[in-house]
Amino acid sequence: MGGGRLKNPELIIIGAGPAGIAAAVEAARAGVTVKILDENPKPGGRIYGQLNDGFKLLNPGFLSPDYEKGKVLLAEFNTIRAKIDYLQDSLVFAIFENRIMAFHQAGKGQRLAFNKLVLATGAYDRPVPFPGWTLPGVLTAGGAQTLVKMQRVLPGKNILFAGTGPLQLVVANQVLDGGGKVEAILEAGEINNWLKLLKGFSRNWGLLTDGLQYMRSIRKAGVPLLRRHMILEARGDRQVEEAVIAEVDKDWRAIDKTRRILKVDTICLGYGLVPSVELTRLVGCQHRYAPDLGGWIPTRNEDMETSVPGVFAVGDGAGVAGSAMAMLEGRIAGISTAQSLGYISSEESRKRKKPYLNDMKKLGRLRDALDRISYPRPGLFELAHDDTIICRCEELTLGDIKSAIDNGTIEMNALKRMTRMGMGRCQGRMCAPAVQEIIARQTQTPAAEIEYLNQRPPTKLVAIDVLESLPGEFEIRHGW
Amino acid sequence: MTPDLRIWKDVQRGQAFEIEVDGLPVVAYEGETVAAALMAAGIRTTNRTAGGDEPRGICCGIGLCYGCTMVIDGVPNTRTCQTLAQPGMRLETQKGLQRWEVAD
Repeated sequence: MGGGRLKNPELIIIGAGPAGIAAAVEAARAGVTVKILDENPKPGGRIYGQLNDGFKLLNPGFLSPDYEKGKVLLAEFNTIRAKIDYLQDSLVFAIFENRIMAFHQAGKGQRLAFNKLVLATGAYDRPVPFPGWTLPGVLTAGGAQTLVKMQRVLPGKNILFAGTGPLQLVVANQVLDGGGKVEAILEAGEINNWLKLLKGFSRNWGLLTDGLQYMRSIRKAGVPLLRRHMILEARGDRQVEEAVIAEVDKDWRAIDKTRRILKVDTICLGYGLVPSVELTRLVGCQHRYAPDLGGWIPTRNEDMETSVPGVFAVGDGAGVAGSAMAMLEGRIAGISTAQSLGYISSEESRKRKKPYLNDMKKLGRLRDALDRISYPRPGLFELAHDDTIICRCEELTLGDIKSAIDNGTIEMNALKRMTRMGMGRCQGRMCAPAVQEIIARQTQTPAAEIEYLNQRPPTKLVAIDVLESLPGEFEIRHGW
Repeated sequence: MTPDLRIWKDVQRGQAFEIEVDGLPVVAYEGETVAAALMAAGIRTTNRTAGGDEPRGICCGIGLCYGCTMVIDGVPNTRTCQTLAQPGMRLETQKGLQRWEVAD
């Protein structure tokens, strides 16, 4: 477990991906007492995650390029680790009134008061409902990557990738490197555009030269990389047996006569990421809708502080911008907390932030350009049929949701009470982004004007004996 | 090596052991999640839904969709992607939300 036993940490950080670690490093370096609560067994998050005990890494080649960047940050973290109380396998499932949170570790519930809080909760693959998406064998690209990278298991025998942007190329490459068979990669947008763009930027930023390398090895492996193509349907009796694909127009709507069937047993979907805002919602932060950053995100000032004083949000969980940006945001938040706790002067704070702010500016330009190209088009939200499951937990179809809307339930939270949409085990993570688009279409309202699901604890399933083991009483926030 | 979906390149796995899935033995290695051991063995359906009795399996792989839940050592709704395989672990394909079988 490591770290000192700090009674009352001045700063609590939730999540130990690039953003959370960077925040911890900067704050601890300035003298702040820091506690990190990490859901994972080891620091690094999804991108810099380390192999479980039991695995021995012989050659890190398949982990690159993230591995090298992660190693640098983790090494920095290790130099200051003694001053940081890092708790692994610790899931924060509730934040209550009066700055109290609840988490559990090893089956035991614990309460924790916080003063300064940095939320670095990350993001997850955008769920995209289409006929057959609930079949075993349909995975997210991120899920497939976790299997290949962290567990060294191929997600299937004949694999189709479908989505947009560079992530699926990365994962396809890792599959090929591991000896897997990729039948095809479908890019809904225009590959050529973002290739040109990558070339333009890679001169200054090593970041995306990797992307070009991936393209080359995919080509070398003879895997068809089909631009302007999407998956329309997954078919199979008990699991995926085939995929219906088609060419799409610039709005990502299928061109009917181009439909065809691919025999595959696995479909990996990579349509970008959605920020995990469960905790920023629970703590009561104000949010805004930013589709270019993945959807709903907490509003922040230049210190990365949210509308709730002393609560900061950094990394992909506050707007999907990738690991390099996440790290920089984490550093800014770490320095800001050190300043607000009186460890460094405002002048020193400015000085420490300056190089990071400069890097952020440069990265921002790259991001803006990428967004314009891989921003989801309307066709992505029109793939489901009336009998397609939207809410996987409660087994509600598009027809169910539409009829509730037609009967006047046009708010997401009312829809939840009416249909149980979002009430199941995933707590709306897998359906709410899609439902927002469905309401927008049915009511002809801009998605940004549709209020998102309220969050209530627990954010993930918690066994009743964990709740029983929680000491003390908790006050529920207004608005729940 | 065994004809499963494991990648043997660039890593060395730890101790092999058996887990039990619906009464049948499945090989797992130290450090593997239950989900990884199942996928490696080509077992994809982890549960069937309460309403439509439809098969579900691993989807997000990072512990948030609850697609991969099974009854593990008697505890239903356990995410196989977030649970490390342990020697002798007993798994059952979950049906709906299933009952939690409490001893005595």
